[in-house]
Amino acid sequence: MDIDVSPLILNWQFILTGLGFTISLSLLSIILGAAIGIFGGVARTYGGPLLDTIVGVYVDLVRSIPVLAILVWTYFAFPLVIGESLTPFTGGVLALGVHLGAYITETIRAGLTSVRPGQMRAALALGMSRTQAIRTIILPQAVIRMLPPLGSLIVIAVKDSAIASVIAVPELLRQSQVLAGKTFRPFEIYTSAMLIYFLICYPTARMIDRIYRNLAPLGAS
Amino acid sequence: MSIRTETPTRPRIGSDAAPILSFDNVCKRYGSLDALAGVTFQVNRGEVVCLIGPSGSGKSTLLRCANALESIDSGRVLMDGRDVHDRRTDARNLRRRMGMVFQNFELFPHLTVLRNVAVGPTTVLRMPAAGAAARAMELLRKVGLGDKAAQYPAALSGGQQQRVAIARALAMQPDVMLFDEPTSALDPETIGEVLSVMKRLADEGMTMVVVTHEMDFAKRVGNWIVVFDHGKVVEQGPPRQVFEEPTIQRTRDFLSHLGWHGESLAASDLLVPAPSGSYEHRTSD
Ligand SMILES: Nc1ncnc2c1ncn2[C@@H]1O[C@H](COP(=O)(O)OP(=O)(O)OP(=O)(O)O)[C@@H](O)[C@H]1O
Ligand SMILES: [Mg+2]
Repeated sequence: MDIDVSPLILNWQFILTGLGFTISLSLLSIILGAAIGIFGGVARTYGGPLLDTIVGVYVDLVRSIPVLAILVWTYFAFPLVIGESLTPFTGGVLALGVHLGAYITETIRAGLTSVRPGQMRAALALGMSRTQAIRTIILPQAVIRMLPPLGSLIVIAVKDSAIASVIAVPELLRQSQVLAGKTFRPFEIYTSAMLIYFLICYPTARMIDRIYRNLAPLGAS
Repeated sequence: MSIRTETPTRPRIGSDAAPILSFDNVCKRYGSLDALAGVTFQVNRGEVVCLIGPSGSGKSTLLRCANALESIDSGRVLMDGRDVHDRRTDARNLRRRMGMVFQNFELFPHLTVLRNVAVGPTTVLRMPAAGAAARAMELLRKVGLGDKAAQYPAALSGGQQQRVAIARALAMQPDVMLFDEPTSALDPETIGEVLSVMKRLADEGMTMVVVTHEMDFAKRVGNWIVVFDHGKVVEQGPPRQVFEEPTIQRTRDFLSHLGWHGESLAASDLLVPAPSGSYEHRTSD
């Protein structure tokens, strides 16, 4: 097998565009997922039985459906519900964010319930409202404690962004497919794509580990 | 069920006629358990009232009912004449006038010592950060921990953490301080530093309700002793009476269980007089 990297060098901008989409798609879906997850986790823990049930249904639904099915449904079926079409990118962000949000919800919830009740009592005893206590006292500790699982979820989110290639978001994998088809150099191109994913995900995971090791004592009440 | 203990008369410490905190036949149930079965006693302004009694007798529950961290099933708790558990009462406003100190400190581990003390004023009183930090620093110096301001709680000894917790409660400038076994989780060497801070506070005229097993502290610093058993007040009175001539067998049993046999203790080095103007405890380390 001869190896020819020239298609990569000649088309570096094409690959870079893909990388840009992978990063922006991942970041936006992580932000959406985190927002949903924080709201969902707090709602399940402190929002009373009704909110707990509603958010619980969302979590169970999402966890029982393949992310690919959610993505395809969001892009092809959801527009019929809202009567407006979505760009592939928007569809991708929505689907991946909603998917990720369910897992972050459960992680945040586990973190919140692990903070011992005395912390809430101490915050309330100072005169804080429950919202203030959750925001300034309980949630930060929960997030610090849950950094390792949250870190895994973030890395999984970056990897899952490749699924958006099926709805033609021009992210890294999609661009690689197009390029491989054009240049008949699938080995070089797909190998590079794998390497790029690794170079994003591995340092991200290590960085989160490191942050956790520095912060861990601050989450232990 | 209304078991009311006769309240002996006692000298008023403050000038106010009305008690600052009063419990009137307070009942609290957990399922079928009567955690509080009709508790009645009063706390006057400037007094140090010590609550003693065996484990599970309802002392912590009573403190939590005092600042509405727990609801009550019947009876009344009045703070400055206001019904703490009345739905129209602003519980948050009441709570910030009652500082609370917990057995296991409950410092906020993700905040520096300074922020632990300043977080109440900034979030609850909406005090500007600089002003809150200045107040926090002043209180930390008072409890002898000015040099620990930038540390995180995990780096402090138990006694130091508890002094920070006292400073944190004082930062809200409360009218009453509630202490729930503040020295029970401490090593014997560090108990003294916390008790001496509390004694200074009492000397400054702070009204205090102290759940404690430190009979020496209760006797020396307390103005009024309330003995709990099975969710009831079985005896109350001035320390001399409760400790020297307890009228109830249950009190006698409890005191002897703690190794107290009615005789006065020789001067203990537990309560080291602190330098004037500071709560700082002289330690040898
Ligand atoms: N949240 C709760 N749910 C159910 N039962 C409770 C709860 N809190 C306290 N109790 C029970 O109420 C009773 C009184 O408890 P409380 O903690 O007030 O006792 P205590 O006098 O403070 O004891 P200790 O000296 O051990 O701290 C105990 O039997 C306890 O098990
Ligand atoms: Mg207790």
